[in-house]
Amino acid sequence: MHVVRSIRHKSCADGTLMKEFVLSAPLTAGFFSYLENFGRVEAMPALGEGFYTFEKTDFFSIKGFAGDTTVEVRFRREVTDLTTDFLYSLFSLYRDGNPDLVFLKRRESALVERVHEHLYGR
Amino acid sequence: MREEKLIIYLNNAATTWPKPQTVIAATMTSLASPVFGSGRTAGTEGEDYPTLAREALARLFHAGPAEHYIFTLNATDSLNLLIRGFLAAHPGPCHVLTTALDHNAVQRPLHELEKEGRISLTVVPFDEDGHVSPAAVETAVRPETRLMVMAHGSNVLGTVQEIGAIGALLHDHGVYVIVDGAQTAGHIPVDLGALPVDAYVFTGHKGLFGTAGTGGFYIRDPDAVAPVRVGGTGTDSSSLFQPQEMPERFEAGTPNYPGLAALAAGVEFVLSIGVDAIAEKAECQTAYIIGELEKEPNIVVHTRHPTLPIVSFSVRGMDDDDVGFVLARAYGVVTRTGLHCAPLVHRAIDGGKGCVRLSLSWFTTDEECRTAAAAIREVACNACCQVNSP
Repeated sequence: MHVVRSIRHKSCADGTLMKEFVLSAPLTAGFFSYLENFGRVEAMPALGEGFYTFEKTDFFSIKGFAGDTTVEVRFRREVTDLTTDFLYSLFSLYRDGNPDLVFLKRRESALVERVHEHLYGR
Repeated sequence: MREEKLIIYLNNAATTWPKPQTVIAATMTSLASPVFGSGRTAGTEGEDYPTLAREALARLFHAGPAEHYIFTLNATDSLNLLIRGFLAAHPGPCHVLTTALDHNAVQRPLHELEKEGRISLTVVPFDEDGHVSPAAVETAVRPETRLMVMAHGSNVLGTVQEIGAIGALLHDHGVYVIVDGAQTAGHIPVDLGALPVDAYVFTGHKGLFGTAGTGGFYIRDPDAVAPVRVGGTGTDSSSLFQPQEMPERFEAGTPNYPGLAALAAGVEFVLSIGVDAIAEKAECQTAYIIGELEKEPNIVVHTRHPTLPIVSFSVRGMDDDDVGFVLARAYGVVTRTGLHCAPLVHRAIDGGKGCVRLSLSWFTTDEECRTAAAAIREVACNACCQVNSP
């Protein structure tokens, strides 16, 4: 699964930057289970084929429905330049349920430090 | 991909959709014809859309002359022209009143002027029913109060203010009254011949069924406001100064002919149905939706008795943007979420978080109301049994 393109942008009232992305494959419950390695996932499985939200504090949040090929992402605006690439990696390195978690966690750790430094200083 | 749902469009307080067929036809006819505008062509064929729109508005609002209806880009543009034009015509210290119900179309021009040191500003609060009381306005009036700019109808709560009583007391104090009718024009009867209002602002793309990019205002006494946008009018062209006749005093540049064709047709559509009939249907449908939502303990409805076809609500335990997202994606119900450009209203009703707003139009069907209410209740039920990750 990977990001095909971004189709809508909006500055939100809470200061976040919303972007909607088209994906190369439909979202699955398994994808959101995988995201639990990186943040908090909430699910409403009875809505449609399942409605999911993912929140990674200070980075971004993702919401979408299982079976859908679009997701809405809200970036923390101040660090969008730092975190966008990691978002793309979360999709592209999912690899149909066989992600390289060690690699992704290492990237996440390095990025968390940079994001915290940017937002809160040392 | 999931199955595509038919849209149930409940975002009419932002922009009405669908538009009447007559509006679409008038726009197409306008675009298919050469422009006819007094002083702007030697041609004699074609409709004078600005005049048609002015005359239709004068019939709708029971006040003339038609030349006192001025066209602008939208309600925000009208408010900026009126507020800055009033200050230009009345130099010196100026205390201005507005209300906490007002949209950023009012708040931002006034707060910017306050920041520039051009005015002092008081924001009058609203009560728990979503109304600004005449007594609260009277309390806020000072000897140096010159202007009040206030929303006729709240775009979040759907409540309508007592413009008659408030306008009368303000006139007793010599205060100029500008009313933002963006949410009331076309939705409820507005009699500008009788209301103590000095200027009334409307927009084309909401209850008047026109297109985006059209709006305007009615002004009773043009001399009370200076023109702050000047330029070519196609008239009195030997003069290097703005004509003082109406409507040229406030209208400069080539008009939006297709937009005004749409606006004229939209107002004629409203007149053909009757504003009373539009308001009555909206009241029944709005009451039905509120009744349904109130059956669900997980839903907080922010106004129980709106006059306008607006229902704002929150779902406990669920972010309003998530509610809007789910309604749109899973049920095809188009709402608007967030702060609705009215931050002071939200500070009072939901701590500034924002909520979900449904807004209806004449074209909203009873079946759509039933389907939307059922969808919202289903989402709220599911919010109760949300699953969190460990």
